[in-house]
Amino acid sequence: MAVYKRRYNPYSGALTPAWSRFYVLTRFAFSDLFKSRVFVIFFILALVPTLGFAAYIFVANNKTVQLLLQIRMGDVLTVDSQYFLVFLFSQSWLAFLLNCWVGPTLVSPDLTNGALPLFLSRPFSRAEYVLGKLAVLGVLLSCVTWIPALILFFLQGGLASGWLWPHLWMVVPIIFCSFIWILMLSLISLSVSAWMKLRIVATGVTFISFIVPAAIGAIFNAIMHTYWGDLLNFPQLFQNIIAAAFHAEERFGGPSSFNKIPIPMDWAMLVFVCVFALFVLNTRLRAREVVRG
Amino acid sequence: MPATPATPQPTIELDGLEVQLGGRTILQGLTGSLKTRAIGLLGPNGAGKSTLINTILGFHQPAKGSVRVLGLDSHTQGKALRALVGYMPENDAFISKMSGVRFVRYMAEIAGLPPSQAMERAHEAFVYVGLGEARYRPVGTYSLGMKQLAKLAQAIAHGPKVLILDEPTNGLDPPARKRLIELIREIREAGDICLLLSSHLLRDVEETCDEVLILRNGRIASICNLAEERRANRKFLELETSGAEATFTAALESLGCECAVFAHGRMKIVMPENIEIREVFKVAADRGVQIRRMNHRRDSLETIFLNAMEQTGAADGRL
Repeated sequence: MAVYKRRYNPYSGALTPAWSRFYVLTRFAFSDLFKSRVFVIFFILALVPTLGFAAYIFVANNKTVQLLLQIRMGDVLTVDSQYFLVFLFSQSWLAFLLNCWVGPTLVSPDLTNGALPLFLSRPFSRAEYVLGKLAVLGVLLSCVTWIPALILFFLQGGLASGWLWPHLWMVVPIIFCSFIWILMLSLISLSVSAWMKLRIVATGVTFISFIVPAAIGAIFNAIMHTYWGDLLNFPQLFQNIIAAAFHAEERFGGPSSFNKIPIPMDWAMLVFVCVFALFVLNTRLRAREVVRG
Repeated sequence: MPATPATPQPTIELDGLEVQLGGRTILQGLTGSLKTRAIGLLGPNGAGKSTLINTILGFHQPAKGSVRVLGLDSHTQGKALRALVGYMPENDAFISKMSGVRFVRYMAEIAGLPPSQAMERAHEAFVYVGLGEARYRPVGTYSLGMKQLAKLAQAIAHGPKVLILDEPTNGLDPPARKRLIELIREIREAGDICLLLSSHLLRDVEETCDEVLILRNGRIASICNLAEERRANRKFLELETSGAEATFTAALESLGCECAVFAHGRMKIVMPENIEIREVFKVAADRGVQIRRMNHRRDSLETIFLNAMEQTGAADGRL
């Protein structure tokens, strides 16, 4: 089908492996995202707190700087599980904002003008489609959560001799808790994006999907004099889980009179939210809508 | 239009196919075999044409029976089948903010082409369909005709073996329709490609297809091999003449025509394929015969379609 010949020729060249084709979606989405200067600035800003936390580790392990700043190590500068808990929790909010920005741009443009049948008429499944879109959020949110957390962890391990092995157990909650938060954020924003075809509406709904249920939960608690309304407060659920995983003290969100929801219930609620989001995606991501009746 | 050769295995095999959507039976007991490389799907609105295409693509699951394309079952071998397919849907299907060429490249990469090949073929496909100048514009800014061509470009960019076109000329003005039909015929004749074209416009199917599957109320009303019909179809002439004698009839018969003479100079002539009408005029002129009226007809797809619609014997889905 050379241009100058202007005739149709079938393609007989090599094909990419079928398992790798979900990555095409990811690559194109990244290309579109990083065309926006505003997004690039926001993404860089989301990485800035990591530099602050890294500076903290540097100061905590450098006696000269401590002397210059007149800080005593034992007073405030400790790098332990609370440090990573605070880091992950603050970064989880940045991940949330990043997710509100990126998530709604992923699915809704494909649905607005009916492009989905074009994807699914190729050797490409709905699961691969979702995987390709999830990978976008997975990579972006990982860049602001567990990846910098691990960098900080190993930075501390490198600077403080004898610190790494006693604290190695923290690698698991760092990765695992971040993974759960990223998965929940991604699935919620993708399902909202699949439900709301207009991007701006999807962005708004993604944002309020974390705020409104928490408010409803608080109202429920106030009226019913209970604490089970906290199950609708997703950031609170995540905080409970991560605090338990890091064996946090009460002042850092550990078990207290305020956090009465049992941890298994927190887990069950997060899993339920993820399953519900998958159900929505399964309902909406179809090549053809079938009208019943 | 030269007929494309039939494939050794049936292009489409329907085996008691039944499809139910939303509790309603849309396709009922479709059974048949279509062997040529250019197949038209005809039927009035709601006959089940798009449902059949969607079932072939694996968008709908058969409730009973099966449909096989080039020997691949649409349900059990769906992925392998879709690897062979290029699909141009009936409705809008594009990503509005993407440039045309990037959109086609994207679709080609999803189909499995490496990035460099996908980019090259996206450009080629755009130039081929006549949108070369508009390829860097966002697809959302295209006119309806350009969007149709962009859909065709994405359907052919990855070089499919089966091209499925669902109402490709919908909403096009006559010149755009003519251009699209020409393109479809070129694609059909240029490459080793099977064509499945769904339309409710008889002319579209007649101009591009060799075989027609006519659907009515989710059942097969007729399967007709247009190429064979064209070959078997003999030309009929009804003449009203003045001064015709036995020598005129004998001269026509010597050309290979079959003649039946009636009262008042009326004649019916069955002409062989190789005889043109002007030769009848020449014979008449040589013998001083006046031809006062001539009625020339051959069975068209319209006749076949109307007959199929009127038939009641097709109610069980088989012919």
